Amino acid sequence: MTEQRHAEIFALVRSNIYEVLPDVEGREIKSDDRLTDLGANSVDRAEIVMLAMEALSLHIQRVELSGVKNVGELVDALYAKSHGQ
Amino acid sequence: MNVFGGSAFLDVMQLISHRRLDSARFENLLMRQKTVALPCEDPVTFGVNAAKPIVDALPEAEKDRIELLITCTESGIDFGKSLSTYIHHYLGLSRNCRLLEIKNACYSGTAGFQMAVNFVLSQASPGAKALVVTTDISRFTVVEGGDALTEDWSFAEPSSGAGATAMLISDTPHIFQVDVGANGYYGHEVMDTCRPTADSEAGDADLSLMSYLDCCEQTFLEYQRRVADVDYRDSFQYLAFHTPFGGMVKGAHRTMMRKMTKSRRDDIEADFERRVSPGLRYCQRTGNIMGGTVYLSLAGTIDNARFDTAQRIGVFSYGSGCCSEFYSGVATPEGQRRLRAMGISRHLDDRHSLSIEEYERLLTGNGAVSFGTRNWKLDESHVPGQVLASGPKGRLVLERIHEFHREYRWNQGAGTELPRQGQPRTAYAWVKE
Repeated sequence: MTEQRHAEIFALVRSNIYEVLPDVEGREIKSDDRLTDLGANSVDRAEIVMLAMEALSLHIQRVELSGVKNVGELVDALYAKSHGQ
Repeated sequence: MNVFGGSAFLDVMQLISHRRLDSARFENLLMRQKTVALPCEDPVTFGVNAAKPIVDALPEAEKDRIELLITCTESGIDFGKSLSTYIHHYLGLSRNCRLLEIKNACYSGTAGFQMAVNFVLSQASPGAKALVVTTDISRFTVVEGGDALTEDWSFAEPSSGAGATAMLISDTPHIFQVDVGANGYYGHEVMDTCRPTADSEAGDADLSLMSYLDCCEQTFLEYQRRVADVDYRDSFQYLAFHTPFGGMVKGAHRTMMRKMTKSRRDDIEADFERRVSPGLRYCQRTGNIMGGTVYLSLAGTIDNARFDTAQRIGVFSYGSGCCSEFYSGVATPEGQRRLRAMGISRHLDDRHSLSIEEYERLLTGNGAVSFGTRNWKLDESHVPGQVLASGPKGRLVLERIHEFHREYRWNQGAGTELPRQGQPRTAYAWVKE
């Protein structure tokens, strides 16, 4: 895992969160933040995941990314999937 | 085709403020009302009340050609005995008829519909008809324990409803003519939502939504492989979705439009209003009616959209667990006139509006029949409002259970009878636009 690539995916997810949840724009997002606590409902959460998948050109089933508990785990899962793991 | 949306409903925003949920967030979810099943209602009464106007309008000779009755449900009342046996009896159908029940969560309606279509297409019994009845009720109690029940399971109470649809499938379709062979189906094992115990539901909202979106995409891609020159935007004048709640459909449509047509956000919004929103109308009046939701969306589309000429409707069906399908068919101005004559909109308007107090009393099981009840008698004081006294004449209600056998009666309320298919055109006058 390159630290830089991981940080890029984190930044991508953060910008997607800002896009889907304008209320939290500019707020610091931490790895252990849960999307629910940031105000995302299930439709919002799916949108955030989908925007990230599109930006990373990830062609996988969405259900493979379900079950993550917080932003950090989502970033880890996206990193793993985008590196064929 | 006909729809039965129950005898009583609850205003969803009232429920949301009563539960102290964030009403601003719920407004985006496009929920309005939910049908609540009363103690005198069960999956049999819902199914019969949907199908009866269709069957009654048939000449005796045609009625006797109904040779297949499929009831589609995840709200069964017996592990062995099929709901179709009761529905067959109260509709007075011919005994030379196959009776069965199909389960596959919210996909059950499509499963039954496609089996019926194939029965007719096979011409194994030329001229025979099939009656497909979808019927589901939710008695809302969550299975306790487990982290998988995410907080968004709080969507489940406001969004889950009750309702039935009935469709007569024959080689002379009037309302919706299927595009034969134009079916993209897709299924796999996933544990998203389920009914693991007799009277309750459980689920993982995130997993369910992800799976719904995956299937929305995969079924369309399969449809596109099978049908030449298909375009998500141009091939279908309308789209009818399985609708757990409107916000979910809006999200799915947005995802599909972005992916399949690379449309911009404001174009997608306009497209949603034009092609999808007519189908949400009735779904917003009942909540999720499970096996029949996709047909409620189809009925809403045919009743409420513009049909100056024949129009093609794309249909997406999804059932947890899961199985899904994208298929299509054509509806005509004549089909719209026939469906409007069923008076679905008026029936939904005429239901009893429950107060929160009445709803809470029903929720705590006051008079409700649970699975496996051996003996029971309807206590009319548990039925709110004047539903029995002033309801429409000739509606079926559950009266008694004797040694597990359910007994029903035709309620003789003071209300007007619902219209039947084939009544004179004047019947259209009071159909609300």
